[in-house]
Amino acid sequence: MERREFFKKAVVTAGSVALGGSVVEAGETTHPVDDRKITPIAFPEKRPMIMYSDRPPLLESPRNVFTAALTPNDLFFVRWHMPMIPSHINTGSFKVKIDGLVNKELSLSLKDLKTKFKQVEITAVLQCGGNSRSAFHPTASGIQWGAGAMGCARWKGVRLKDLLEYAGVKKGANWLGFNGKDKAVYSETANFIRELELEKVDDTMILAYEMNGEDLPYLNGFPLRLIIPGMYSDSWIKMISNITVTETQNKLFFMEKAYRIPDNECECETPEKLVKKTKPIEKINVNSIIGYPEQGSKVRAEAHVVVRGVAFDAGSGIKKVRVSIDKGKQWHDALLDDGREGNHAFRAFRYTINPKKVGKLTIMCKAISNAGEEQPLAKDIKWNHGGYRYNGIDEVTIEVV
Amino acid sequence: MKKIFLVSLLFPIFLFAQVEGEIKVPYVDFPMKDGKGVYSTRGKCNMCHSFGYVINQGKQSRAFWLEKTVKMIKTFNAPIAEADIEVVVNYLYENYGSNDEHNNSVEVP
Repeated sequence: MERREFFKKAVVTAGSVALGGSVVEAGETTHPVDDRKITPIAFPEKRPMIMYSDRPPLLESPRNVFTAALTPNDLFFVRWHMPMIPSHINTGSFKVKIDGLVNKELSLSLKDLKTKFKQVEITAVLQCGGNSRSAFHPTASGIQWGAGAMGCARWKGVRLKDLLEYAGVKKGANWLGFNGKDKAVYSETANFIRELELEKVDDTMILAYEMNGEDLPYLNGFPLRLIIPGMYSDSWIKMISNITVTETQNKLFFMEKAYRIPDNECECETPEKLVKKTKPIEKINVNSIIGYPEQGSKVRAEAHVVVRGVAFDAGSGIKKVRVSIDKGKQWHDALLDDGREGNHAFRAFRYTINPKKVGKLTIMCKAISNAGEEQPLAKDIKWNHGGYRYNGIDEVTIEVV
Repeated sequence: MKKIFLVSLLFPIFLFAQVEGEIKVPYVDFPMKDGKGVYSTRGKCNMCHSFGYVINQGKQSRAFWLEKTVKMIKTFNAPIAEADIEVVVNYLYENYGSNDEHNNSVEVP
């Protein structure tokens, strides 16, 4: 009951913000912050991006990259947990180890991976579970990302399954632990280790060494990272150096506490009453974003403006993207690209508008997945303490002159 | 024979020629608001991570800053004395607290 009242209030107050009011009341979900400036300092192998931290590096992609199915490597978002990242990898001596409950422990070089196993490619969306967290109010815990903590790339590498088969998983094994080469400043700090249930391993999960036809950039996990299509990126371990097969799950901070949402029907809670039973964030919510035009752009009346953006979900694929220019009264089907990058990729969409009336014009887009999921309005998204899994209908307001 | 050996030796190096030598992540100075406890807080936070990692959490409640400070000590074993917790939490709340108008925008240099 308390929760219901809390969100009832949220719905009522949402209106004032839509009208431009600046008072934000607790509980209301808005749109993520969309006016952060690009920091004029380029990080290694990157163009200047929106920067939140240098140690560990945290970089967000600007909205205007989201007009194509593939996100350029040098504008691809970056999120590390540990500040000590090796500044040099010797590609000749780099090894990834597979140990624990296996018949033979493996220590594989990059050359081994490229020559002894089947080489596969998959295009998949990499998205932080906290992407768009700044939409949640009161401020949720974590970096206050705008909508650009995501990207989509064509990843090339070897199947995790093939490596496990080669090592021979022993009877009784249930879990995989992944560790990368990034470290904390103090050796007492636990590593950023993630775990995955062995039975969840499928053909789409790969250890990738290539991204969009190039080496992985250092800041995206050079020389090797885990790719788990359909899942938020918390377990896509970068600079992966170790895979340990175990019988039981370890008690690890990053598994027990981080990247979890309330395990109840609405997957929601209130700051006053946090839900004790939680579950991992896992599957990516259906989502879409307008890459062009951007907020505040000016266009001429009667000009044919091609609205462009991308849509995606956890892998069922995008059925439709719909666009509205009258605040959601009428929705029109956008044109979708040919979908050649597959169901785990961004699906680029476009829709031409021809605004006649001078003044402000709001463009909205929403995606509908093949699984039948549809994006909610931002104000209908319920709060969780970590600000995870936001997928509100995006909107951009332009000026017709 | 010698030629073949050389080619196979160079093969992986050839594939990874994008960056030679070490990468350098730029150092970025995140200015901290002046206030009581600023020096103590700067030292303790910056030991392990940039101050950007702190202020880009947005303006937060006292309970939030306390929880995070305790987490740094208990979970991540940061060498911060218990006696210093109050100074850090007070500084963070007084300068980056959610008591005033809600504001997520953070100045990034």
